Amino acid sequence: MSQISRICPVTDAEAERIVRPATFADLGGRITASPAATADGTPGRPYPAAGSRARRRWLIGAPLAAGLAVVVLLVTWLASPAQRVGPVRVGPQVAQALSFTTSGRYITVIVRNPLADPTRYRAEFAAHHLDITLTLVPASPSLVGTLVYSGQSAGADITPITAQGRCYTGGGGSACPVGVRIPAGFRGQAQLAFGRAARPGERYETTAPATAPGEVMHGMRFQGDTVSQVLAMLRERDVTVPVFNYARQGYARNLSHVPGSWYVYDAAPWASQQVMLFVGPTKTPPAAKSPQPGTPVPSPTS
Amino acid sequence: MPSPPIAARDERQRRFEEVYLAHRSSILGYVLRRTDNPDDAADVIAETFLTAWRRLEDVPCDAGARLWLYGVARRVLANHHRGVRRRSALTERLRADLATGYRPPEFDSGQAQIAEAFLRLPPAERELLTLSAWEGLDYGQIAVVLGCSRNAVRLRLFRARKRFAGELASCQTRSAHPGVHVTNGGLA
Repeated sequence: MSQISRICPVTDAEAERIVRPATFADLGGRITASPAATADGTPGRPYPAAGSRARRRWLIGAPLAAGLAVVVLLVTWLASPAQRVGPVRVGPQVAQALSFTTSGRYITVIVRNPLADPTRYRAEFAAHHLDITLTLVPASPSLVGTLVYSGQSAGADITPITAQGRCYTGGGGSACPVGVRIPAGFRGQAQLAFGRAARPGERYETTAPATAPGEVMHGMRFQGDTVSQVLAMLRERDVTVPVFNYARQGYARNLSHVPGSWYVYDAAPWASQQVMLFVGPTKTPPAAKSPQPGTPVPSPTS
Repeated sequence: MPSPPIAARDERQRRFEEVYLAHRSSILGYVLRRTDNPDDAADVIAETFLTAWRRLEDVPCDAGARLWLYGVARRVLANHHRGVRRRSALTERLRADLATGYRPPEFDSGQAQIAEAFLRLPPAERELLTLSAWEGLDYGQIAVVLGCSRNAVRLRLFRARKRFAGELASCQTRSAHPGVHVTNGGLA
């Protein structure tokens, strides 16, 4: 063992044991729910080199910039997933996707049609001289209307508008990003994603913890209970489980049926009135195995 | 029946999940070995895999994916060390897990001496030594992570090891400092 190995703070295997499988799954799901490509279908921009001023900022709980903002983007639509806008039913090809209202120093942008093609949002922002890519992704109930992803180009300083208690995002508590402020004369690029209501049966692309306020398992205690016990509790809430996530040796697989005697470790919203359960045959999740750091290469000085 | 764009997205998602499952513990380990701040660690891990998601076409298909991810994590971490902080809305749960589950080790006097010598090295040399000793990479693999030639890695690693041996000998001649507490937050 080299001297440097002696001060290795943590191995890969030890690190993996710190993070619950459900947490890894949650992060993976949130990443794949974020925009993967630009609106014209080309891949995202290359990662900026070290030292580049280009940057991507993810938002939550960041301080708001004072005094500069003129554009406020809020996803406060009137349209339901069935495209009902106010008292008049309109088709997605007819309705304006966004509305822009000027009031004092602010322009408020409201998403009128959360199911519009992203290219339409882009075109309507472009008509207001804004290079903004907006996508709306199906979200679990408490994240509908909240900001789930924000990226921006060099020099841009888009800041979040948070609403305390509007949603709960886990470790971040209740400071919920519900919109953004865009500085005066914004000439950069931005990519924003908000949660929208899922269509019936549509799988969520972004989720809050299953037990968060507003979610179907709010208030439930189930960790360590058997699958049968949890399914019975869920039946009382009209919640079904289409998928069980079973991780073995660090690799997760989705199963449609598991023994009722297995145990439930965690849960995640899946679709409307549906959750995914993280399960296994032992009462506590087994420590995941992962590769150890390899053998150090021979040192010329040792 | 899924429409073609959804099928394409599913295929992309499947490919990302393969990369994520295969390498998430390696990247988590790499980052935790270089910062003891759970918020920073969570954000660096998320940004590394978000980069992989957005640039999936660039991620090598084989074991090279791990080296590619190390390279991304290294740049993200360097930005963090320069004070470019991001707080990700993606990582609330990861942050919470790391905050409650990870405690950096306390070193005994022998380890503290090694850490002291190690910290006297320039950051570039520390990175070379740790990629070798902590990630177990060989010259060629380190060259991929750092984006330089294998021969350059061999020479620079030789110099780094020589300098480290000199620093360690110098530390060992001075009196030991029992009780010195150095965490990995100050390393690498």
